[in-house]
Amino acid sequence: MASSHSDSAKMEQIITEFFAKSLHIILESRSPCISSRNFSGEHIVSSPSSSSSSSSSVRPRDKWFNLALRECPEALENLDFWHQSNLEPMVVDVVLVKRVINWDPANFYPKAELFRNLSSKEVYSNCWNSDQEELGNGRSEKIIERWIVQYEARKAKDAGKGSKRSSSNVLSSIYKKSILLLRSLYLTVRLLPAYKIFRDLNLTGQIRSFSLAHRVSSFVEPFTRREEAEMQRFGFAPVDTSSGRLCLSVLYRSSLSDVSSEASTPMSPQLIPDYVGSPLADPLKRFPSLPVSRGSPSSLPFSRRHSWSFDHYRASPPSMTFSPSPTHSEPYASASNPSSSRFPPPGLPPHPPEVSHAHKYNANFDEYYPSPTFSPSPSPSPPIYVPGSRLSGALLRSESAPINIHATKFLNSPTFFKNQNLPPSPPLKGTRYGPSMADKSMYPSRDSATVDKMSFVGRDDIGRPSGLKIPSESSANISYSRSSCRSFPDDFDESEYTCAFDVDEDDVTDPGSRADLFDKRRHVHDPLQSGSFMPIRKSQGAAVGALVDMLKKAPPLHQDVSNLATASQASGSETWSNTFHEYCQTPKSISAQDGTSSVASSAFLASKTTADALEELKGYKEMKNLLLSQGGTSRSRSVTNHAAAVESADEGTVKF
Amino acid sequence: MCTAHYHLPPSFRPCAAQRNRLGTFRNYICKWVQCGDPEVEKKIEEKIEQFIGWVEKHPNKKSQICLSFYEVKNKHGSWFSKQIEQLHWEHWYINLNVAQQPKVQSVKSHNSKVVDTGENNLEDRSIRRAALEASLRDVLFQIIRFVNDKKEHVPPIPNREGVISFPYEIILPSSSDSAFGMDMIKRMLQTGHPTMLS
Repeated sequence: MASSHSDSAKMEQIITEFFAKSLHIILESRSPCISSRNFSGEHIVSSPSSSSSSSSSVRPRDKWFNLALRECPEALENLDFWHQSNLEPMVVDVVLVKRVINWDPANFYPKAELFRNLSSKEVYSNCWNSDQEELGNGRSEKIIERWIVQYEARKAKDAGKGSKRSSSNVLSSIYKKSILLLRSLYLTVRLLPAYKIFRDLNLTGQIRSFSLAHRVSSFVEPFTRREEAEMQRFGFAPVDTSSGRLCLSVLYRSSLSDVSSEASTPMSPQLIPDYVGSPLADPLKRFPSLPVSRGSPSSLPFSRRHSWSFDHYRASPPSMTFSPSPTHSEPYASASNPSSSRFPPPGLPPHPPEVSHAHKYNANFDEYYPSPTFSPSPSPSPPIYVPGSRLSGALLRSESAPINIHATKFLNSPTFFKNQNLPPSPPLKGTRYGPSMADKSMYPSRDSATVDKMSFVGRDDIGRPSGLKIPSESSANISYSRSSCRSFPDDFDESEYTCAFDVDEDDVTDPGSRADLFDKRRHVHDPLQSGSFMPIRKSQGAAVGALVDMLKKAPPLHQDVSNLATASQASGSETWSNTFHEYCQTPKSISAQDGTSSVASSAFLASKTTADALEELKGYKEMKNLLLSQGGTSRSRSVTNHAAAVESADEGTVKF
Repeated sequence: MCTAHYHLPPSFRPCAAQRNRLGTFRNYICKWVQCGDPEVEKKIEEKIEQFIGWVEKHPNKKSQICLSFYEVKNKHGSWFSKQIEQLHWEHWYINLNVAQQPKVQSVKSHNSKVVDTGENNLEDRSIRRAALEASLRDVLFQIIRFVNDKKEHVPPIPNREGVISFPYEIILPSSSDSAFGMDMIKRMLQTGHPTMLS
């Protein structure tokens, strides 16, 4: 009986050591952290000695089953805590951990401390030796192998079947079979696909986005049908004992191609050669993406919301003005005072009541030039740069592009100026040029559109306008804005080109007078009195786009003036001239009303010589005088300034 | 060059308590376990070289390698004083069919053709290699199943020094079939009742 008792004890010991040995074999080839300390390509040539001799080189546990393995303390340290009974199965899950973000190379290998620090109860239930808790988000786990080692106890009635044989023979036979089984296991773990991952992690030393982890537990969640379908099973023949049998099986994923492909291309820092940068870091970089196209004035970059632009897609309150210049925004700001309910609505510039048909110009403006965005801006920087169009860029940069364009538009049509919606500020200037001018400040698109047509005829290849003739009135307006348009190209006649919103401080009038101007114009276009500035912005944008288009399409500057005159008549000028004619239609009537008919006849700017330009300038002077006579005292200041500008323009040279 | 479909069953049977190591047979990707004994490895390498020589002399000919494990028993015969009997308790027959790869013919016509031929050869070689690797892995798994299914006949593992627990021998095909047959007859006379594993 004592022998049987000892035999059962020995049997228990064999079974216990079998569990330990199997776990050691599995973890030795699946835990990079554990094996990396002793891993040397698995080409360790040990001394050819059996377990009986040179015991110093063989650990006590290595003597079991005649199989000496590499050190694996982390795996076996808590094995005793876990393995409380041979009747409980031991499930070893090999988990492939993929890290997407928050990948920390320091935590690349699963830390054994976590495993060690787990209490026995925790180890018993679910042992983790991975640093799962330390990793960030973006971590995915996949069980690629599940090893199940268990001892199936035989029923009591069947336990006596193997008792006829001597216990020693039984034990030796069990031990021999266990040896063969464990050696089969040793070979199997190296034949499965997961071993390749293990070797890659250990040998290459490269930074990987994945790692291997394992967990030892007694009870695990079974695989779903789908998961089980993806796995293959390999079962070892059990080792029968007197009271049961030792079973060993594995469920493994036969295909780990996704990991293997990733293993061949490890993560490594790479330089981005053409890094553009974040648009948030550099908002101006959005410019290239903005639609600065010739043929699509409606898709002007004004659609982008920038500091000085209106918001297209929301009803801008009256507080949103169109003054892009911080320095000059004050007068506009006053005009844009929300309290000023009489602030002219956006959209088509309201025509003065005396110009009943002035809306035609507006319509034409809208037709040809979508209104650009215009809004008060603390930043003087040009939000929009039209490549290839220095003029437009300069205009914009001068923050008076619309008005500037407006000004150029009225080269030959003082009455046209009169009937256009001039910007409210400077109110004097606006009033100087009539309601149209004043409204232009608010709806620069109109003027800008016209100016696009008119001012860039005969432009050279680089887009500089040539032969630009600006009437006195427009020059006055231009001169008004010219002070802030110093960045204009030299080809421009500074006397002729001014930034519409280049408000001189002296020209700033009180909001009251400005408001009066607005009242006279606002009611003309009822639909525009909705308070939306969208038409203005559209026209401004369209104007700029048309301006750019004209600059690009304009014939070279170097052409002969005479040729230019004919060419402009034949081609380039036709478009804008026709437009100008359309615009001048009303001025004709206005001029008729005002008694000036010379403006309308001088529609072809490009074909004009210097003398013609001067003549037009004189005509505009006359118109100016008429406006002055019609205007109040409040306008006189701006008119005076503009007159001075016009006179200076006379003295200047008109460059072609 | 020819790629030999050659492998040896895992020599884990005769291995004693030692650290097994992993070896890689040339031209193979699959890993197999070695005993770690330099003498055993040297003997295996020599046998492989002999086999390769035989294959080169007999191209496209089926061959067979036999790995046998036996026990040494002293047989006291009447005629002979002492005879060492080799009792083979396990034979592994490895049937091989060595496929010789077609030689790459040099194309002198155009470079592109040469490149195409090379690319095709490389692609075909990689395909064959992958198929060979898969089949070899299947064979190894089959060996493991055989080893685990039949364990009763294995004699008790002696607890002795050295790596090899059981003596073994590797029998290669001789230069002639008749000679190979004679070798088998001689072995049968020596062992008496060889144990054949199917």
